[in-house]
Amino acid sequence: MRTEAIDPPGISWLRVSPKYVTVRLVEWAVGNLIAVGLLSLPIVFTLAGWWVWLPLWLAITVPAVMLLLAVWRLLLIPRQVRAIGYAERDDDLLIRSGIFFQRTLVVPYGRMQYVDIGVGPVERALGLCTLKLHTASAGTNAEIPGLPADEGARLREQLSARGAARLAGL
Amino acid sequence: MATEGPGQVSGKPDGEWLRVHPASPFIRGWVALAAIGYFFGRDTFERLLQGRPLMDDMFAGRVPFLVAGGGLVLLLSVLGFIMTWYFTRYQVAEGYVRVNTGFLFKQQRQARLDRVQAIDIVQPLLARVFGLAELKFEVADAGESAVRLAYLRIDDARQLRATILARAAGLEPDPERPEAALPEAPEFPVLAVPPSRLVGSLLLSEQSFFVVLGAVASVVLSTITDNRSFYFYLIPAVLGLAAAYWGSFNKGYNFTAAISPDGIRLRYGLLDTQAQTLPPGRIQALKVTQPPLWRIFGWYRMQVNVAGYGGPGSNGEAASRTTILPVGVLADVMRMLSLVLPDPGTADPARVFGAGLTGLAPAGAASGAETPAGVSSGGAPDGGFVTSPRRVRLLAPLGWRRNGFAATDTALLIRSGRLWRELVVVPHQRTQSMALHQGPLARRFRVADLVLHTTAGPVSPRVIQAGLDEARALFDAQAARAREARKRQTSEQWLAQVAPEATADRHTPDHPQNHEEGPQHG
Repeated sequence: MRTEAIDPPGISWLRVSPKYVTVRLVEWAVGNLIAVGLLSLPIVFTLAGWWVWLPLWLAITVPAVMLLLAVWRLLLIPRQVRAIGYAERDDDLLIRSGIFFQRTLVVPYGRMQYVDIGVGPVERALGLCTLKLHTASAGTNAEIPGLPADEGARLREQLSARGAARLAGL
Repeated sequence: MATEGPGQVSGKPDGEWLRVHPASPFIRGWVALAAIGYFFGRDTFERLLQGRPLMDDMFAGRVPFLVAGGGLVLLLSVLGFIMTWYFTRYQVAEGYVRVNTGFLFKQQRQARLDRVQAIDIVQPLLARVFGLAELKFEVADAGESAVRLAYLRIDDARQLRATILARAAGLEPDPERPEAALPEAPEFPVLAVPPSRLVGSLLLSEQSFFVVLGAVASVVLSTITDNRSFYFYLIPAVLGLAAAYWGSFNKGYNFTAAISPDGIRLRYGLLDTQAQTLPPGRIQALKVTQPPLWRIFGWYRMQVNVAGYGGPGSNGEAASRTTILPVGVLADVMRMLSLVLPDPGTADPARVFGAGLTGLAPAGAASGAETPAGVSSGGAPDGGFVTSPRRVRLLAPLGWRRNGFAATDTALLIRSGRLWRELVVVPHQRTQSMALHQGPLARRFRVADLVLHTTAGPVSPRVIQAGLDEARALFDAQAARAREARKRQTSEQWLAQVAPEATADRHTPDHPQNHEEGPQHG
């Protein structure tokens, strides 16, 4: 799969913490297991004879497909996490993500309006944080998830300092 | 103080707190008042006409209470109006505009003058009758939307606009004569849209196409099914369409554009009139579109992103405010482009932008072999546009010769659409951030999309399906160009940026100006 990437050549990417896989796994479990569980309820209802209008094969197929998709997404998680990378250049920050749908984003330091750090419950337990950059554009969806807390703090300070030094108007 | 009224805005020294026109709450609340009046008045009127007693018998004994109650409600609302008026005050001082409102929950909004993105004078019909106007300006400070001052006398509104724009431009008041009103910047008309062309453009719009389609479909349906009753269901649709057409006509009527040192002035409106001022360098991105039917007359539409104007199409107001040319011919488009982008950054703007509007890469040429990104025009065919490589003709059989980009020294041009032609222009120093996108299919064809992020608005620049190498080169080159352009742009105050000759006719020669900028041809 490591075909030609869309990244600019000659950049050494910093990877996010491998522990971020756990965060994604929890998110995956919460989302998909509940969905599959709910969709499996009709099987019970049909088998118990409460619902007679629903053919059994349909009651089984729908959650099975969902389960298959969920497992597929589960298998992708470690690689997706490995695909997240960021690089600080002299004048801008590069963020890349995705394996099938790749995205490489560049945010000039001078364009940053503010930097957010968010910590969810699972992330807190693992000592991770999510860094978010905001520019004047809502389309700039610049997020680095799964940073170790001290790296996040360092990056925030670094970015703020560089942003202040290069601040431009709109 | 209260009796002074809102006048003499810049005739006062800095820092004076002023009030809006006393009639403003009534003009804003006229709908409520009219509704109350209609509600009570109609009943009474009907009873009088029918010769019945003014009150039913069961109410007759309670007339004093009813009258007293009604009077109290009226008194309270009038008192409320007066209170809101009394506690709404504004001030222009120290580089800020401050607006205080509210008497129970006080609110102060302040806006930095050098962050003014656009300033509008809006006159709804009723305000126009009374010679009043609302002043509304967008500030890109805290993400909050417009600061509004409603209503001022029209002359005061104009004067205040001139003051705000002058301060925003970096012009200090004369210390010897602080009372001297700042003159309004002179303006030169650039173009006007004749009503006939506006009507024509509405008739030939995409909307009309679907109207005709719907009409044909209903006629066919009615003859087939021999059933006329469903025409009644079309009535709401027809009313809605009529309202939409009327809205477009009302907004676009009498559209004129003018240029002044303070920026581009747009005026339009039939019943409600609006005068917009877009200071120089506030336009984040620009789009020229041409629906298929407009090609008959060679008409184009231009829309812009301005910080604070907000998203596309959410309401009619945003749609009309982001339109800087509702319909115009090629010459109009070029003229507006020259206002928005005074320095096109290329030796032959007509050819480059013309190619962006209508150009098409030669069918045989493998444009991937051409010199990629960053070469500004030169003598290249097709205006220097780099289009999608030939290999994507399976993905975009119509668009592959059209979708492309070209970079001049000052802006990136992105064109797309074979049927719905579109040209997007993003000045280099306005690029916020960029992203390269590539999905699985695009990877098979070795192409990628480049998305430029700008502020919210109708324009969303995206280079579609550029060859991988070209896209990567553009990504790097564009980052470098944006960086260079930002370094050149030093101040938010545009007098410090624009060429001196553009402002010489307005400002006193002793005004300090930075001359570090290179010459610009306007």
